[in-house]
Amino acid sequence: MTVAPAADGATRSAPGWPQSTLARVGIWVAVGVALTWVASRLLGSVGEFPQSWDVGLAEPISDARGWLIDNQRTHWLYTAILDPFSDVTEGAIEALESTLLWIPWYSYVGIAGLGLWWTRGRAAGLLGVAGASYFGVLDVWEQGLSTLSLMGVAVTCAVVIGVPIGVWSSRSDRVQRVARPVLDAMQTFPGFVYLIPFTLLFSFGPVTSLLATLIFALPPIVRATDLGIRNLPPGLIDAAAMSGATERQTLIKVRFPLARPAILVGLNQTINMALSLVVIAALIGAGGLGGSVLRALQTLQVGAAAESGLAIVVMAILLDRFFSGLADPTSRHDPARVKLLAIAMIPATLVGGILGWTTFPSQLTWSFAGGIDRAVEWAQVNLFDIADSGIGTGPFSDFITIRFITPLRELFAQDIPWPVMIGLVAAIGLALSGWRLAAGLAAALAAIGLLGMWELSMDTVAQCIVAMAMTLMIGVPVGVLTARYDRVRAAIRPILDFLQTIPSFVLLVPVIMLFNVGRVPGIMAAVLYALPAAIHYTDLGLRGVPAATREAATSFGATGRQRLLKVDLPLAAPQIMVAVNQTIMLVLSMVVIAGLVGGGGLGLETVRALRRSDSVGTGFEAGIAIVLLAAILDRVTRAIADRLSPPSAAR
Amino acid sequence: MIEVSGLWKIFGDASAKAHRMASDGASRAEIQEQTGALVAVKDVSFSVAPGETFVVMGLSGSGKSTLIRCLARLIEPTSGDISICGADVIALSADGLRDLRRHRLSMVFQHFGLFPHRTVVDNVAFGLEVRGVPRADRRERALELIGTVGLDGWADHHPQQLSGGMQQRVGLARALAVDPDVLFFDEPFSALDPLIRRDMQDELIALQLRMQRTLVFITHDFSEALRLADRIAIMRDGEFVQVGTAVEIVTNPADDYVAAFTQDAPKAKVLTADHAMEPIERFDGDVGSLARVGRWTVLEDFIPRLLSTPDPLAVAGDDGEVIGVVSHADVARLLAPPARAAAEAAPLETRP
Repeated sequence: MTVAPAADGATRSAPGWPQSTLARVGIWVAVGVALTWVASRLLGSVGEFPQSWDVGLAEPISDARGWLIDNQRTHWLYTAILDPFSDVTEGAIEALESTLLWIPWYSYVGIAGLGLWWTRGRAAGLLGVAGASYFGVLDVWEQGLSTLSLMGVAVTCAVVIGVPIGVWSSRSDRVQRVARPVLDAMQTFPGFVYLIPFTLLFSFGPVTSLLATLIFALPPIVRATDLGIRNLPPGLIDAAAMSGATERQTLIKVRFPLARPAILVGLNQTINMALSLVVIAALIGAGGLGGSVLRALQTLQVGAAAESGLAIVVMAILLDRFFSGLADPTSRHDPARVKLLAIAMIPATLVGGILGWTTFPSQLTWSFAGGIDRAVEWAQVNLFDIADSGIGTGPFSDFITIRFITPLRELFAQDIPWPVMIGLVAAIGLALSGWRLAAGLAAALAAIGLLGMWELSMDTVAQCIVAMAMTLMIGVPVGVLTARYDRVRAAIRPILDFLQTIPSFVLLVPVIMLFNVGRVPGIMAAVLYALPAAIHYTDLGLRGVPAATREAATSFGATGRQRLLKVDLPLAAPQIMVAVNQTIMLVLSMVVIAGLVGGGGLGLETVRALRRSDSVGTGFEAGIAIVLLAAILDRVTRAIADRLSPPSAAR
Repeated sequence: MIEVSGLWKIFGDASAKAHRMASDGASRAEIQEQTGALVAVKDVSFSVAPGETFVVMGLSGSGKSTLIRCLARLIEPTSGDISICGADVIALSADGLRDLRRHRLSMVFQHFGLFPHRTVVDNVAFGLEVRGVPRADRRERALELIGTVGLDGWADHHPQQLSGGMQQRVGLARALAVDPDVLFFDEPFSALDPLIRRDMQDELIALQLRMQRTLVFITHDFSEALRLADRIAIMRDGEFVQVGTAVEIVTNPADDYVAAFTQDAPKAKVLTADHAMEPIERFDGDVGSLARVGRWTVLEDFIPRLLSTPDPLAVAGDDGEVIGVVSHADVARLLAPPARAAAEAAPLETRP
């Protein structure tokens, strides 16, 4: 292959977009590595990011926190605004919780069963009955209702706020232009960084959890409402106008009903995200199922963690099945019979509630925690190093740690001096997009240094890169397979759906069973968490290649392999970069949560801060560093995706 | 019933400059090149009498859809005057416009524009519903119209359960439900199969005979225009190039563009004995023995009779007097392609 000089105007006009891009990328990488190496030698003595440059955000924030604590009884900010607000919110959550506790247990079993029967059929109805009974059988009833009530209030608020914003944004391009980047940003950051700022104002408690959950879970419902109302066939709106409908009539009689399925899909996502954050909010003292999992994990009672964790998964699956079924108006089963039974349940519920038949019969309870504990013990003895062969979870853990995580962390944190690192990131930005991106990336990275979070961030980045590489190494080939064979897709799909419904926090439980604590379980959890997205977007990209293009390649005698490499993958490349982008964002949020199980890095720092009120300043700094890292990784992967898009049609 | 004068629609920011250029005779392409603005409707004027079917025929991009959307004010015209049922449509407030649409003006859409979340009867009743007609009354009226368009028994289905032709019947019933004086049709049948399209055209002709509304009908299909129209406007690059009855356009196309359409037109369905005949003065045989045909009978209807005899037919005027004679040769001459077109076609056959 002849290599064209990189920055020669004459070659730039040459046709053949894919090859020349590949060659250019190769040259960029080679030059970059060489320059980095030379610069690292020259600047070897610069060492770590100078501590004296630390802007020391921690102290003023801790001071502010102190001031807030001292003044929260007297200052008008609390007495006039924040306290009434917390009182109302806490009151709502408590009222909901006590109402939920008043309702007899069998009503939940009935509601879950009938709801799923109605939206998904009888088999799903049985699943609902079994799922709701699980909470009683394992005696996590009250924790479940506590989680449900916090989530219920958060989701209600999200709907009450999100739907009007969505409608407004659908009616006005200007509002959408403002709302869109804000929503993008809200979705970019790992959910639990939202807990940090609110702990400053509201300390630990349900109000903080609620507000963080609200922010985290708001974007899908706003977006779905906006898109659902905007993406209607234009003919229908004309038809309504020509019938003389007012704007209001059009909205109520045409736009809303037509957008309903889309809005319900958004609601389902909002519920899923709210549940995952409500669980994480255990870190700031929210009880419920998340609290049980957290307490069990901290004391390494894996069996108990598994019981509560599975309860969360069951709740997530029941909610997801019900609301995704509700979003599909064609999917309704035996409506007459379901309605009859639902009406019959009303007096049964009232009678049970008044007579106080609220608790699940205790003779029916059962626990498998002990079994799990024994299984974990067995696994730790027998799977750690199977028959001393060097194969097993222990050697695997060591291999990943010694070969990848540690060298990468040392490379980023020590071997590459910080000015070179910033220069390198800026150069990547420049090559991908231009000066603006380069300056933004460099500033973000420098800010991380100035916050005194350089080393921890590099640790987190190293873990992210390892997890991302593993995810893509599994996810992209699997995506290629699912795109090509419908049967593989059908087989894998339920597993992916299942993985996607599991709140991130809960994924830590099974990996701890196998890998104990440390960085590797965090990375494995991140892989599990990000894998569905990697597979889904690869599959989507490859399936999006037009059939005619593929047939053209085949008609010229391309083999399956040639077609994949020369046609399918290049055309799917932008979508695959979306897979990379999603993977890295999910991996980052999981790696951060993995601070809980000894993952180290920024996550550990944040978790520590969230546990103790005196280090809230450091937590704040770590949180900002996470946000900056997320922004850097997001921008870079998006810029790559833009570069990979084929030239668009002539203007 | 409808009066339109000097109507312009220019898309783009530089509409004033584009307007000037177009008035000075610049072509649409030149204007778009220089200003970026697209002249979609250029100085269109016409009027439609009560009970008339006025068809605007043009190819895609000719501006016909923009024109009807301007008339309905679904898009705002750049300049010009529109009067419908005596109302100055351009000057109407939002309330006035809504009132016009609720009571006097309806529209049938190309892709039906039916509401998928409503049943057929609720679709048909939509206009009455937004007008505030009580539920029972509007249902009764809607069911009546569903019967009129031949969809009895389908009232409680959803539109997507119906075939394309049936869906457009729903669209037609919905438009008729508010008892409008004026109906706009935006290529209503072009999404349908040719046979269904024909049925729908027949149905519309029959309905129009009974109801006598004022119709403005947009189409890209010249033969559809010939079948339905009292008068046809041929539109090209935003302008009306010719307005006239089917016969006027077929017998006397204004330019080559219009002539190109008429070449493939089913002339035997349009032209009458009146066009084919030789005046009685030039005939020197005995008219009394000839079979008779009415002056306004279309060719298609009397050709079989002509073919059954070696003699010509006598053409009777409106008062029954014989005013001319039509022979085999007269009909053949009228239907044969123009000589020029034939000459052009010949060299093609000798090509290797």
